[in-house]
Amino acid sequence: MGKIIAVHSYKGGTGKTSLAVNLAASYARRGKKVCLMDLDFRAPSLHALFEAHKAEYWLNDYLNGICEIDKVLIDASRDYGNGGKLLVVLANPSTEAIRDMTAKDRKWEMKALGRLLSLRSSLLNDRGLDYLLLDTSPGLQYSSINAIVAADVVLVVTSLDASDLKGSQRMARELYDLFEKKTGILMNKVIADYLSSKEERAKFNKHLNSAYSLPILDSIPCFCDVLRAAGDYIFSEENPEHPFTKTLEKLATKIEKF
Amino acid sequence: MSYNTVDAENTSRTTTMAAYRKLEVKSTQLLEKIRENLEQLNEKIDVMIEIQKHGRREIPDSLPEALDVMTLLSLPDHLRKTAVTLCKLEEATADEVAKQTKRARAVESGYLNQLVIMGYMKKERRGRKAYFFVNKEA
Repeated sequence: MGKIIAVHSYKGGTGKTSLAVNLAASYARRGKKVCLMDLDFRAPSLHALFEAHKAEYWLNDYLNGICEIDKVLIDASRDYGNGGKLLVVLANPSTEAIRDMTAKDRKWEMKALGRLLSLRSSLLNDRGLDYLLLDTSPGLQYSSINAIVAADVVLVVTSLDASDLKGSQRMARELYDLFEKKTGILMNKVIADYLSSKEERAKFNKHLNSAYSLPILDSIPCFCDVLRAAGDYIFSEENPEHPFTKTLEKLATKIEKF
Repeated sequence: MSYNTVDAENTSRTTTMAAYRKLEVKSTQLLEKIRENLEQLNEKIDVMIEIQKHGRREIPDSLPEALDVMTLLSLPDHLRKTAVTLCKLEEATADEVAKQTKRARAVESGYLNQLVIMGYMKKERRGRKAYFFVNKEA
C-alpha cells in the first residue's frame, strides 16, 4: 500500500519544492512509482521544471471536476532501468487561474478535499503508486490543510529563522496534532558548520531540543551548489555524487521507514 | 388402538409442531421489530438530547453547513475524529466509522447524530441500516 506525503512549511522559501522534487526523483531512481503534485495554487512552481507544454489539463481542472486524474498526469520519468516512474501533476500558473483559485468558497474547498481524498484509491490502489508527494503552499491555507488531511505523513520544512521555527512549532500543536498526523520536521539550509562533525551536530540538536519541542526528522546543510542550480533542473539527477544528493538519499530511506 | 387413531394422533402432532414453528418465526420477527424500533427510538432520543443541549427548537436539518477543513479544525477533538473519518469513507454506518476510530458503535452513533444536527452531515435510512454522509449541498 502506497503512502501520501505532504510537504509543508510555515513560511515561504524554506525549500519545500526543492526537497519534494529531489525526494520524488530519489524514489523513482529506486524503482518506485511516484507522483509529485503541485498544490501551491497561489504560486505554482513545478511547471517551470517539468514539461508544462505537455499539460492539457491542470490539477485545478481535476479539483474543479472538469476532468479525471488520468488527464492531468504527466510522465516525467527518465529511463531509470528499474521500472521507476516519476509522474507530475502541475498547477495552472496563469494569473487568471490563480485569481480563480483564491476566490473559492468553503463549499468548493469541501469538494476539493473529497477529490483529494479519493486520490488514495485512484492513484495508490488502482495505479499501484508507491508515493504521492504533495507540494503545498506555506502557512494556513485551504489547499495546504486539505493536503495535510489527505496525507499519511507530513514533512515540515523549516529554516533556522526563529519566526519560522516558532510558527512550525505552533502548527505542530494546532494543526498536525489535531489531525493526528505523523509529522517530521526537516531543518533545511542549516549552516554547514553546525553539522560538520558528530559533536557539532549533537550540540546543534541539543540547542534545538531545548528551545523548541519539535519532532526533528533530519537536518540538511545549506549548499551553495544547490542555490546555484537555481531550480533549473533536478539537482540530484545531475549531481548523483554531491553531498546534498547523498543527504537526501538517506532522508528518503528514513521516510520510507517513518 | 386402531391405525386410524395413530394416524390422527400423528397428524395432530405434525400440525402442532408446524403451529409452534410458525409461532417461533412470528415471535422472532416481532422481537426483531421491537429491537429496530428501540434503535430508532434511541437515535431520536439522542437527537432530542442534542436539541435540548443547544436550546434549538427547530430541527436544523434544513441548515446545511459546509464541512471544510477550517470547520474541521474548529470542531472539538472527539467530533473532528468522527468527521474526518466520514470524509474519508464518503458514506458509512456508525459501525463502519467505529471500526476506523476504534471507538464504541454507540459512541460514534451519538457523535454522528450530533454532526447531523449541526448540519454537517446527512443521514439516510436504507432498510435496517442508517447511512451517514457529508452534506454536499451545503
